[in-house]
Amino acid sequence: QALPSGGQPQQFIPAQPPYGAGQYGTDDASVLAQGMNSLNLNGAQNSGVGAMGNAVPAYGQQTHPSYVQQPQVPYQNVPIQPAYGGGAYGQQQVPQQSFGASNLVSPNGTPALPLNQLYQTDLLRDLPPPIQELVLPPPPIVIPPGTTVNPNSEANAPYEYLRSTLNVIPNNGSLLKKSKLPFALVLRPYNALRDEDEKVAVSDDCIISRCRRCRAYINKFIQFTENGRRWRCNFCNLQNDVPSAFDYDQTTKVEKNRMERPELNHSVVEFIAPPAYLVRTPQPLIYVFVLDVSIKSMQNGLLGTVTRTILETLDRIPNKDGRTKVAFMGVDSSLYFFNIPADETDKDASMLVISDLEDVFIPSPDNLLVDLKLCHNNIEKLLNNFANFFINTTSEGFALGPALKASRHLIQSIGGKVIVFSSSLPSEGVGKLSIRDEESFFGKPKEASALLTPNDSFYKSFAIDCNKSQVTIDMFLAASTYQDVATLSNLPRYTAGQTHFYPAWTATKLEDVTKLSKEISNHLSMDIELEAVLRVRGSSGLRMSSFYGNFFNRSSDLCSFPTFPRDQSYVIEVAIDENMIRPVACIQAAVLHTTAFGERRIRVITVALPVSKELKDIYASADQLAIANYFTHRAIEKTFSSSLNDARDFLTKSMVEILATFKKELVGGNIGSSSPLQLCTNLRMLPLLLHALTKHIALRTGRVPSDHRANALNLLGSIPLPQLVQYIYPTVYSLHDMADECGLPEVAEVDEEQQQQEEEQPLAISTGEIVLPEPINAASEWLAKYGLYLINNSSELFLWVGGDAVPQLVNDLFGLNDVSEIPIGKRELPVLESEFNMRVRNIVNKIREGKDTIVFKNLYVIRGQSSHESSSYQNDPSFRELLALRIWALNDLVEDRVQSTSSFKEFLGQLREKISN
Amino acid sequence: MDFNSIEDIDNVRLTWNVFPTTKIDATRLSVPIASLYTPLRQREDLPILHEDPVVCRQCQGILNPYCHLDLTINIWNCPFCNTVNKLPVPDIIPLQCQQEFTTMEYVTSRRNATPPVFLYVIDLCLDDENLSNLIESILTSIDLLPEHVLIGLITFGKNVNVYELGNQDVSINSLTFNGNKPYTLEQIESILGLLPNSLVVKSSQPAQQKSAILNYRGSRFVQPVSLCQYQLRMILEQILKDSFPIKRHERPMRATGSAVNIALNLLKSCFDQTGSHMLLFSGGPCTYGPGMIVDVPFKEPLRSHKDIQGDTAKHYKKAAAFYDNLSTLAAVNGHTVDIFVGSYDQVGLYEMSPLCEKTNGAVVLSDSFTTVIFKQSLNKFFSKDNFGFLEMGLNATLDLKVSKNLKINGMIGHGVSLHSNKEKSSISDTEIGLGGTTAWKLCNVTPHSSYGIYFEIANNTSSVGLDNNTAFIQYILYYQHPSGEMRLKVTTIARNMLAPGSDSDIGEYFDQEAAAVLIAREAINKSLKNVETNDLLLWLDKILIDLCIKFGEYTKNIAESFKLSIKFSLFPQFIYHLRRSQFLQMFNNSPDETLFYRHVFLSEDTTNSLIMIQPTLMAYDIEAEEPEPVLLDSLSLKPDRILLLDTFFHILIYHGETIATWKSLGYQDKEDYQYFKDFLNLPRQDAGELLYDRFPLPRFVDCNEGGSQARFLYSKLNPSNNYKSLADSFTTAVTGTFGTIVGGANSNASGAVILTDDVSLQTFMEHVQRAVVKSTN
Ligand SMILES: [Zn+2]
Ligand SMILES: [Zn+2]
Repeated sequence: QALPSGGQPQQFIPAQPPYGAGQYGTDDASVLAQGMNSLNLNGAQNSGVGAMGNAVPAYGQQTHPSYVQQPQVPYQNVPIQPAYGGGAYGQQQVPQQSFGASNLVSPNGTPALPLNQLYQTDLLRDLPPPIQELVLPPPPIVIPPGTTVNPNSEANAPYEYLRSTLNVIPNNGSLLKKSKLPFALVLRPYNALRDEDEKVAVSDDCIISRCRRCRAYINKFIQFTENGRRWRCNFCNLQNDVPSAFDYDQTTKVEKNRMERPELNHSVVEFIAPPAYLVRTPQPLIYVFVLDVSIKSMQNGLLGTVTRTILETLDRIPNKDGRTKVAFMGVDSSLYFFNIPADETDKDASMLVISDLEDVFIPSPDNLLVDLKLCHNNIEKLLNNFANFFINTTSEGFALGPALKASRHLIQSIGGKVIVFSSSLPSEGVGKLSIRDEESFFGKPKEASALLTPNDSFYKSFAIDCNKSQVTIDMFLAASTYQDVATLSNLPRYTAGQTHFYPAWTATKLEDVTKLSKEISNHLSMDIELEAVLRVRGSSGLRMSSFYGNFFNRSSDLCSFPTFPRDQSYVIEVAIDENMIRPVACIQAAVLHTTAFGERRIRVITVALPVSKELKDIYASADQLAIANYFTHRAIEKTFSSSLNDARDFLTKSMVEILATFKKELVGGNIGSSSPLQLCTNLRMLPLLLHALTKHIALRTGRVPSDHRANALNLLGSIPLPQLVQYIYPTVYSLHDMADECGLPEVAEVDEEQQQQEEEQPLAISTGEIVLPEPINAASEWLAKYGLYLINNSSELFLWVGGDAVPQLVNDLFGLNDVSEIPIGKRELPVLESEFNMRVRNIVNKIREGKDTIVFKNLYVIRGQSSHESSSYQNDPSFRELLALRIWALNDLVEDRVQSTSSFKEFLGQLREKISN
Repeated sequence: MDFNSIEDIDNVRLTWNVFPTTKIDATRLSVPIASLYTPLRQREDLPILHEDPVVCRQCQGILNPYCHLDLTINIWNCPFCNTVNKLPVPDIIPLQCQQEFTTMEYVTSRRNATPPVFLYVIDLCLDDENLSNLIESILTSIDLLPEHVLIGLITFGKNVNVYELGNQDVSINSLTFNGNKPYTLEQIESILGLLPNSLVVKSSQPAQQKSAILNYRGSRFVQPVSLCQYQLRMILEQILKDSFPIKRHERPMRATGSAVNIALNLLKSCFDQTGSHMLLFSGGPCTYGPGMIVDVPFKEPLRSHKDIQGDTAKHYKKAAAFYDNLSTLAAVNGHTVDIFVGSYDQVGLYEMSPLCEKTNGAVVLSDSFTTVIFKQSLNKFFSKDNFGFLEMGLNATLDLKVSKNLKINGMIGHGVSLHSNKEKSSISDTEIGLGGTTAWKLCNVTPHSSYGIYFEIANNTSSVGLDNNTAFIQYILYYQHPSGEMRLKVTTIARNMLAPGSDSDIGEYFDQEAAAVLIAREAINKSLKNVETNDLLLWLDKILIDLCIKFGEYTKNIAESFKLSIKFSLFPQFIYHLRRSQFLQMFNNSPDETLFYRHVFLSEDTTNSLIMIQPTLMAYDIEAEEPEPVLLDSLSLKPDRILLLDTFFHILIYHGETIATWKSLGYQDKEDYQYFKDFLNLPRQDAGELLYDRFPLPRFVDCNEGGSQARFLYSKLNPSNNYKSLADSFTTAVTGTFGTIVGGANSNASGAVILTDDVSLQTFMEHVQRAVVKSTN
C-alpha cells in the first residue's frame, strides 16, 4: 500500500526543485522528515540573521568585529516558528497515508485516499513571515495506487510544467465556489530557453493514439481493458482500440513492449506527429528586424547597439537546418527595406525606401527576406554599415504602424517573428500615437482607463490579424521619453510575443549596453516553436473557462501562438460543471507545434489530481504560489476593465473571503477570538503575496509613470511563476554577515563509505554552483545601517551599502576608504583581489544566471543613510539622484509601510478586523 | 528661285514664295500659304551675336534687316506693328540690320544655371538578355554624356524606384512607390522629401559631401554625370529584372504610367523651366496602375485600330486621358519625354503618344533592346557637335511675328500652344493644328525638328495700301543651349504680295516639295483628329485636282491634253504616294506603329519628309558605272539589278534573281570575281551613308527577288505591271464623283508581277486628268 514510487530519479526533468527534489513525493517518511527538518532549521536560522549572531559566522561576527558597529537584536524574542515543512507534513513522523482520512471512497470501494493533512497557522503570530516558503514546491499530489497504467513510470508531471492552484479538486462546482479558492492551472510547457537545457521524453514512431471522443492523447493515467486490446480514456471514459503497432512493429517485424512507450512512462512527453498533422510544409524560422532609425534612435545609440548585437548574435540564431530567414527594415517617416543578394552573386545589399505610408506595400518580392546562411556575409556587411546609413538623419518620425503592416505583408504567407527596436513614440501613419496627459490622471480613478488601456484600436486588431497569419511581434522599447508601453504591449500580448522595456536607455552607459545586448542576444538565440496551438483538456465535468497570458484565444479552448516563446507561462481557469464522481481527475495540456528544424510535434503534459468533497482537503492541498499567480492575472484584468483601486480592493477582498471561509468552515469555534487570523499553513504566504502585489509598481497608489506601470503589468501577466513571486516579493540577501560558504562554489558532502567504494573515481568535491545566502525579509527593519544587502526583484539588483558601513567592508568590496566615496547608480562592482569582493560578485553573477529567462539584471549601487548625513546635501544633484535611488530600492521592501500603504503587519491587522466583523 | 539655298540661310521653306493679296485669292491656290521651319538646321556660317536682341517696345519683334532705319533721328521702324523705336546705338547701322543677317543667333546675357537633366526611366519587366543589353546601352550612353549634365534614375516593374545618387559610401538606396497609385505632385514631393518645410528632410548623404555645387533642389536624386557616374554604374550593374512573380498566361505587372507620373512630377518639382529629358525605356505595355493599356491576363488582347475607332478598347480612353494630362504637365514645364521601345508587341505608344508629341520627344521603336536599331539610335540621340555640346536645344519656345497683312492659322508639329491675350490681330479664327496663338512651347528642338506653320492673308478686300506690298514673318526661337546659355534664334523673311488680280505667274513661286510635306502634315493632323481615311483621301484629291485645274494646261474634256509645268510636275505623285502611305493607311499596322510613323514624320524636315512620302530607289546595274535613281515602279525590277530602297524607316537592298543566284553560288568569294564582290558591296556602302544622319536608325533589310522580305519593296512600288487589269475593275468601282480612288480588290490580277490592292500611279493620274478636264471652271 505504498504510494507510487514518485521518488524515482527524474531523469527527464531539468529544473531541480530548490529544496530537495522529490521529497514531497517520497514514501519514506523519515527522509521526508529529515529533509523538512533541515529545511526548517535553515529557515529559522536565516529568518533571525541579525539577531542570532552566534548561529552563523558572518561579517557581523566577532571574527570581524570592525564590521559590526551597532549590533542590534530586533528579533530576539520571536519564537522559532515551525515552518511549512516542520509544522505541517514533517511534524508527523508517520507516513501521511496512515492518517487515512476517509474523505472519499471511490465507487469501486477502494480504500480511502490519504490526502494531505490540514495544518493551520495564526498569521499574526507568524511574524516575520517565513519567506523561505516562497520557493517551496506545491503540496504533494496524492493519487491512489493504480492510477497510472505503468507502475514503473514517474509520478505526475513536474509542477514546473503544470501546477494547479488546487492539488485536490472539489467534487463539484458549489464546493469550489464555497471554498473561495480559485481553480486554475499555471502552465509552462517549456522550462529552458534552449532545447539542450531541457530533456523531454520523445515518442518518435509517429504512432499517436488518441481518444476517439474527446481527442485526448493516450497517457499513463489510462487503463488497458479487454486484455489490453482497448484503452479506457481517463478523460471521458470511452474505450479506444490500442494500435497494433504498440505491440508489434510492422516494418521491422519485431515485437514491442507497449509499456516501454514514453507516453506511458512520462507525464511530459513529446510526440513526433505523422504527416496528417501538417497543415503545410514546415515553415522556416523567420526573423524580421524592425529598427527605429529616427534621430532619437541615433542620439541614444540604440540603432548602433542593436545592429551590433544582432551582428554578434547571427551565429546563435537557431538555424540547425540552414533554413532560417531574416529581413531588416529601418523606420522613421519612411520605411527602409534592404535587398540582400546571396553572397555568391557578388552583389551588394541595396536599400529601398518607401515613404508612402497610406497604403503600405512591399517594394520587391524577393531578396528582402533572405536565407541567413546564403547571405551571411552580405548580412554582416549590412549590419556593420547599418547605423552609418542614417548617421545624418534629421527625421523625428516613427511610422511603426506602416512598418508593422509591411512586415506582416512580407511574411504573412510564412509567419515568423517581427522584432521591433524602438526609441520613439509611433508618430506617423496608421497607429500614430500621441502623448497622454498623465498629469491629469495620476491617482485618479480613471488613471487605468485613461493611461493603461490601448490608445488606438489598431494595435489590438492588427495583433490579432498577425496571430492569424502566424506572426509574432516582440518589442524592445528603449526611449528616453514616453513611449506608450500600454498601447504597444498589445502587439506582443496577442501574438505570443514579449515587450521588453528599457526606460531612459542610453548607449553612453556601458551597463545599459550590456543589459540590452545580453537580452537581445538571449532572445534571438532562444529556441522557439512555430505555428503552435495549445489546448487543455480536463476530465468530464471540467471546463477551461478563462485564459491568461500572451497569446490569442482563437476559439473556446484553443490558444494560438504564432511562435512559442520559452520565457513565459500561462494561467487557465477551470470551471467545474458537473459532479466529479471519480476519485481522480485529469488535466492534459497539448501544444501542437512545428519545431525550428521542421518537425511537427505535440508536447503533451498530463496531470492526475485527486478529487474530494471535503473543504479541508481542498484547503490542505492548495498551492499558494499558483493562487497568487491566478490573482495577479485577475488584478490585471480588473485594472484594465475598471481601475487600479478596484484591482487592489479585489486582492484584499479575495484574501478576506478566503480567511473568512477558512475561519467559518475549518477553524470552528474552538480557537475563537483570541487568534482570529487563522489560515492553513500551506497558504500562509498568500496574504503576504497579495499584499505585496497591491504595493507593486504595477498596482500601487501614487505617482508611477504609466509606461513603467504598463511594463510592470505586462511582466506580471507573462513571466513564469518563480520569477513572478520574486517580482512581487523581492529577495533580500544580507551580505555583510553571510555564512562562510556563501559566494563560493558549493562543496558536496562526500560520504566516506562511498568514497572508499569508488576509489578509482575522481572525487566529486563540488557541484560548482555558487552558494547563495538565505534571504531575509523584505523590510527595512532588517537593514542595519552598517550592513550590506542585495535586493533582487527579478528585474533589477540593488546593492544597498549601509551609510555607516565600516571602512573595512568598503575597502574589501570597493577598494575605497569611505562609504561616501562609493559611486552610486547603475554600475558593476569593481574586480578586486579581496575575497569578499569576489564572493559578492559571485553571488551577483549567480543571481543573474538563468536558463529560463533572457533578462540580464542591472546592478544599482546605493548608499543608505548614514548617521551623520546632512540635510545640506539636498541641493546637490548627485544627492538627489541618491535619494531617488533609495526610494526606488526601498519600494522593494514590501513589508514596510511605503507612502500611504500599510505595512504587512498593519495589513494583517486590517484583515483581522474585517474577518471579525 | 532656289528654295534650297533660301532654306540654307533662313531654315524656312514656303509653299508659295509670293503671296496673293486677298484671302479669297489665297483660297483659290488650293495649297495654303504655309512654311516649314527647321530652326536648328545646321549651318556652318551662322552669325552669332553675343548680346541681347533689340526689341520693338510695342510688339517685341526683333530688329532685323527689313526694318526701316532713319539714322538722322536714330530710329527704326518695326515692320510688324509699325512702331517707331530708338536705335540702341546712335548713328550706327546695327549689324542685325545688314541684309545677310536675316537669320541671326543671339547669345543672351541670361543663363540657365542648371545643366540639362536626363532622367532615365527603366522598365525592369524584361527578360534577362533584354535587360542586360539595355543596361549595357544605357551605360554606354552615360559615357557619351558631357560630364556636367545631370542624370537621375528611376526603375519600374510592379513598383517604381527612384534612386538616390551622389553618396559614394552608401551602397544603393532607392525610394519605392506603389505602382498601383496615381500619386499627386504633393504626395510625390512629400515622399521624396521635397516639400519646402518638410520634416521629411532626410538624406543618407554625409553632410560634408553636400558642397555648394550640389546644393540644388532634387540633388538627392539627380546628380552631375561627373559625380555619380561611378555609383550609377554600380547601381545599373546590380539591377535585376523585376521579380514579382508572373503567373502563367499573364503579362508581368508593369507600372509604366506610375513611373512616368513620378518622373515628370519629380522634374516639375525640381527643374521647372529647365531643359530636361525623361528617357523612358519600355519593353511592354503598362498593365498595372494608372495608365494601364491592357490587363494582366493574356486572354485580353492588346487593342487594335478597330477597337480604338469602335470605342471598344477597354482602357483606351482612361489611359489616353492620363498620358495626355501628364504630357501637358511636361510640356509647360519645358520637359521632354523620349520613348525607347524594345518589344515585339505594342507597348501602348498610341496612348502615350502625347508625351512625345507635345514635348517633341524622340520615339524609337525596336523589337528588343538587343537590336542595333535601339543601340545606335540611343547613341545617336546623344550626338554632340564640334564643341562637345549635345545637338539639341532645350526648353524652347517659338514666337512668331507677322506683318499686318498675315494671320496665323496654327502650327502642325510637336509642341503645345502658348496662349496669351497679346497679338490677337495676328491670329486667325481658322485653326490649323495648334492654333489660337502666335507662340508655342517646343521643349526639345533638334537640328531636324521642323514645324509646319500655316498662314492666311489678312485682307478681305483688294483695297491695298502701300504698306501691304510685302509680308514679313519673323521666327523667334528662344531656347536653352546645352551650355546653359539662353539663346535666341531669329529669322526674318519678307515675301512680296502680288498686285490684286495679277497672280498669273504665282506658279513660278510654288515649292512643290514643301507643299507636299505641308499638305501631308495637314492630312496627318486631320487623321489624328479622327477624320475618316476616306474623307481624308477625298480632301487630298480635291487639293490636287483644284491645283491642277488652276495651274494645269489642258483642253476641256480632253484628258490627254493635260499638262503640268515642271514646278508642279512632282506634286501629283507625292500625293499619290502619300495616299497609300502608312501615314494615312492603317491597314496592316498596329496603333503603335501608326503612331510611330506619324510622330517621326511630324518632326522631320522637308528632305526627310519627302523620302517618307515617296521613298527613293537606286538601281545598281552590273554594267553601269554609277548607280542611278529609278522610278519607284515595278518596272524598275530587273533580274540583273540590285535595288536600294530608302523609305526613311527602312533601308532595303534587293538583289534581282540573277544577282541573287550568282551570290548564292558564291562568286563574290572567287578570285576572279572581285568586281562582283565590289558590286555587291557598293549598295551596302551607300546604305551606310544614308544611315549616317538618320534618327532613329532605319530597319535594314537585305533580300533577294522572290524572298519573303522582298514583299516590303513590292508594297512600295507603283504597281504599273498590273495596271490594265486593275483599270477595268477600277472604272467599275468609280462612282459618279471623282475621289473614291480606293483600291478595288482585284482577283483577276493573275500573272501580275506585283499583287496589290492599290491602283497604279498611271490609273491615278488618268483619273485626276479626267476630273480636271471635266471641271466646270
Ligand atoms: Zn476521451
Ligand atoms: Zn513691333
